[in-house]
Amino acid sequence: MTQATRITWGVLAAVVLVVWPWLTDDRFLHHVGVLIMLTAIGASSLHLIIRTGHVSLCHAAFMAFGAYGSVLTVMSLGLPFPIGLLVGTGAAALLAATIGPIVLRLTGKYFVLITFLFGEVVRMAIVENVALTGGSNGIFNVPPPHPIFLDTRAYYYLALAFAVFAVGLCARILGSEFGRAMNAIRDGERLAECSGVPVIRFKVIVFIIACALAGMQGSLMAHYNKVLSPENFSGIISLNLVVMNVIGGMSSLWGALIGAVFMVMLPELLRGYVNIQHIIFGAILFATMAFMPGGIIEAARRVKALLSAKPDASAPPLARAGAAE
Amino acid sequence: MTTPLLKIEQLSKRFGGLQAVADLSYEVAEREILGIIGPNGAGKTTAVNLVSGVIEPSSGRVFLDGRDVTGQKPHVLVESGLVRTFQATTVFAGSTVRENLRRGAFRLLYPGFLATLFDTPKAREARARTVAHVDEVMHWLGLERFADHVASSLPYGIQKVLGMGIGLAARPRIILLDEPVAGLSAEETDHVRDTIRLVRERGIAVVVIDHNMRFITDLCDRVLVMAQGRELAQGAPRDVLANTAVIEAYLGKRYAKAQR
Repeated sequence: MTQATRITWGVLAAVVLVVWPWLTDDRFLHHVGVLIMLTAIGASSLHLIIRTGHVSLCHAAFMAFGAYGSVLTVMSLGLPFPIGLLVGTGAAALLAATIGPIVLRLTGKYFVLITFLFGEVVRMAIVENVALTGGSNGIFNVPPPHPIFLDTRAYYYLALAFAVFAVGLCARILGSEFGRAMNAIRDGERLAECSGVPVIRFKVIVFIIACALAGMQGSLMAHYNKVLSPENFSGIISLNLVVMNVIGGMSSLWGALIGAVFMVMLPELLRGYVNIQHIIFGAILFATMAFMPGGIIEAARRVKALLSAKPDASAPPLARAGAAE
Repeated sequence: MTTPLLKIEQLSKRFGGLQAVADLSYEVAEREILGIIGPNGAGKTTAVNLVSGVIEPSSGRVFLDGRDVTGQKPHVLVESGLVRTFQATTVFAGSTVRENLRRGAFRLLYPGFLATLFDTPKAREARARTVAHVDEVMHWLGLERFADHVASSLPYGIQKVLGMGIGLAARPRIILLDEPVAGLSAEETDHVRDTIRLVRERGIAVVVIDHNMRFITDLCDRVLVMAQGRELAQGAPRDVLANTAVIEAYLGKRYAKAQR
């Protein structure tokens, strides 16, 4: 893709993202738009952690910290929403900075297990601390960030702004020399360390940033839903974010975004078939993972490579190597 | 006498009941090539791991340029100019040669988190410098024509040279090579040997581990022979290979007796 076509596509995407809520008056579609924007924050931030070679199953726990931190600041202390958002995001970051240096020394299935357990611990802590969190009943009547955001369309723009910030930050990190070091860590941790990359420190930095973004999403989600309960932050939510990355494709940030759109829209589109909804959903997930191991993004690349006769720069490395010989 | 570039004093490592390395001492001067040889399980790789910070020694000291660097992490040692290569995972298999070397040049390339995030003039300058340096390393190691090839698609011998290149991209003062010619043909071995000579000509000291006697005797200024974690002999290659204890360790006692 040349610079010019890239800019054209970028402008086009920006116009679509800004204009589409005005093409329909269907409040349900606006609602789906908000969900996609907020979920994109979680999926892309989890993508950062995955890119360092760790699959975290406790992303929802950091959302919980963001959500409860923000809601309690606003409702119990009577402080304005921006401060609540900062407190929530900061709480998630602080938690990540505390547990990150410990858990990031584990790799593979041990990391997956310990993060899953940690997520459950956080959820149980919320359920048990009834006085603070309302326990399993949760907290009701959470105020919106501002009365104008009671309108779903308005909230969409708020969510869009934060999603652009979060995804942009992730893209910038991945595109920088820090991102290059992350790739080196993923491909060969030892080799990276012996090339001078402070592996653990970098993993912790990534973890803190990603979890802070998850906290931000949690806060925005809570003030949008107006209720929050421990079930919003169960292991399933964390797992869904992982599935988004797998289905979209773990090799690029686009994968996380495509996965987020896919995973939010699919259940909504299947609402018409309530009784078999979960079966169809499961079958689609299964088929995607079985037939597109590199995710949607990889399948799209293959199709593109097939369509264009000449070797393409965006083709997967192996295909390129084959073409070069 | 000037301080040696690398000085190892009484280095030991115990894994449970196994004494992997015991009381190992050696020195490497600037621009010197030291070979470490020994039978399988002699503790050669452990000796490199101890010096490069991959594992921590049970006792003993490592001095780099007269400074005590015992137990420092690998990435800290890279900053001080000590790099090492690996026996097995020598390269980033899925990346191009150029990308491999850029990753190796991390120390020169990385300007700090915020600087790289905002792509400050300092970050851009570091990148320009690194691109030039990586081109130079490729030219020097004869990797230019493979620049855009994916590492895993290259012949094994070239991958081994690239592995060295990753280490050299960090502008080290000393490089430790763990079996750089294991599994290579005679021709490829000669190519690696010549490459290591070029490395020394650049003013970089080399410690090289291998089994291949011809390779080691051709290349090294001095050789250290290890057996069962201990030093058996140290000195010029020809003297060391004539040493009875060394012949015993390699070829058995009876052979040594017959030679006498």
